[in-house]
Amino acid sequence: MKNQAPNQAGDLTEAMRLALLRADPALSRFDPLPRILSFDNFARGHCGWSQLVGNYEDDLDTMLPGYAQHTSAMLSTLAHWDAGSHGGMDSSYALKLATRPLPGARNVVIKRHTFRKRGPIRFEMYFTFKPEANALKLSETDVRSVGLLFDLQGGDQDGNSNNDRVMPHLRFLNALDGQHLQKWQYKRETERIIPIGTDNKTISHYHLSPEGWIDLPDGSQRLCYNEIPTKVNWTYLCFDFDLATMTALGLRCNDRSFDLSGFDSIRIPAMKNLWCMLNFGLFAETDVAKRAFLYVDSICISGDF
Amino acid sequence: MLPENITAVVSRNERWRGEAASEPYEAGWAREAIFFVRALKQPVGPTATAWVEISPDGMHWLREGTEIAMPAERDGVAMARLSHFGNWLRIAARFDSGAECSVLVTLHLKA
Repeated sequence: MKNQAPNQAGDLTEAMRLALLRADPALSRFDPLPRILSFDNFARGHCGWSQLVGNYEDDLDTMLPGYAQHTSAMLSTLAHWDAGSHGGMDSSYALKLATRPLPGARNVVIKRHTFRKRGPIRFEMYFTFKPEANALKLSETDVRSVGLLFDLQGGDQDGNSNNDRVMPHLRFLNALDGQHLQKWQYKRETERIIPIGTDNKTISHYHLSPEGWIDLPDGSQRLCYNEIPTKVNWTYLCFDFDLATMTALGLRCNDRSFDLSGFDSIRIPAMKNLWCMLNFGLFAETDVAKRAFLYVDSICISGDF
Repeated sequence: MLPENITAVVSRNERWRGEAASEPYEAGWAREAIFFVRALKQPVGPTATAWVEISPDGMHWLREGTEIAMPAERDGVAMARLSHFGNWLRIAARFDSGAECSVLVTLHLKA
């Protein structure tokens, strides 16, 4: 390293970083930014992915119904009645998120962090989705969607013009009302903010209502679904977001890269206790009276800081 | 590494009446499990019986053999301890006409 110009040293550092990543069987399938915030392999447990519980005060009846339907995610070997355990990519286990068996039912799992620096972050995962295999049919239009959201807020010293709560939402709309649509969508609006309880300390808003989803331009994509409900294939997803400007930078899914120049997030005024919030959410929705399952093999969240 | 253990909330503030059951939960990695059932409100009508069910596939259910009385008072808690259940678990109950209980069902699993 002695006597090397800074850019050459930087190139060497990056080359070494990539070489180490690519030689690591666990991380080699990811393209993380320089710092890995978390690397979740669900053979090691839930890795901080917990049920998104709605806000309440005094009585659980105050929880909005959209949140009340949520249940805890589980660790699954993707055990199927006809073929046994499918397993994950390099372990037996995946994280499994299941909806209730009601049309339009939804479930959300969340990981809650805060950030140290407002800069680029990258969310990568290998996932798949299937309906409950209770019919000897292809059932390819039973899952309505699976998706990803971040829940972010600036720091307490960032100033009123730069500290909004920002919630990028993305979903792969597989089917709606039986129509096989297979396209990526985003969302800019949440429902109105509702006070919870009487102490003027808690509010709630339902940001995953079925209304307000917008098609991503050129966002159609036919994913690998396979030929019966119990055959699954893992799919790669990568979403890049800049915490400095609170804008989306990129979306990749398998061999496709999508233009996010028209993308925007849900934006609402800063809340008084969410500074530097860095939350990640995953969700599944069913289109029919059958449980929808989102399975996640592994997740790598990284940043440049 | 410490052995895995988790607390899963499988039914929260659900008003159970008639035939009721928690959502299916996969727990094949766990060697032991406890269901806790708490009454969040004063139960109405005769105390119901709940029982644990296991399944080969999460869709076809049969009784595991453990039965418990549902809580008779608000904030009463019933529990069922399990140590041999395969993968799928749920708890089910049957209520007489007019009877009900708003439940918090949690499942505690340990490798």
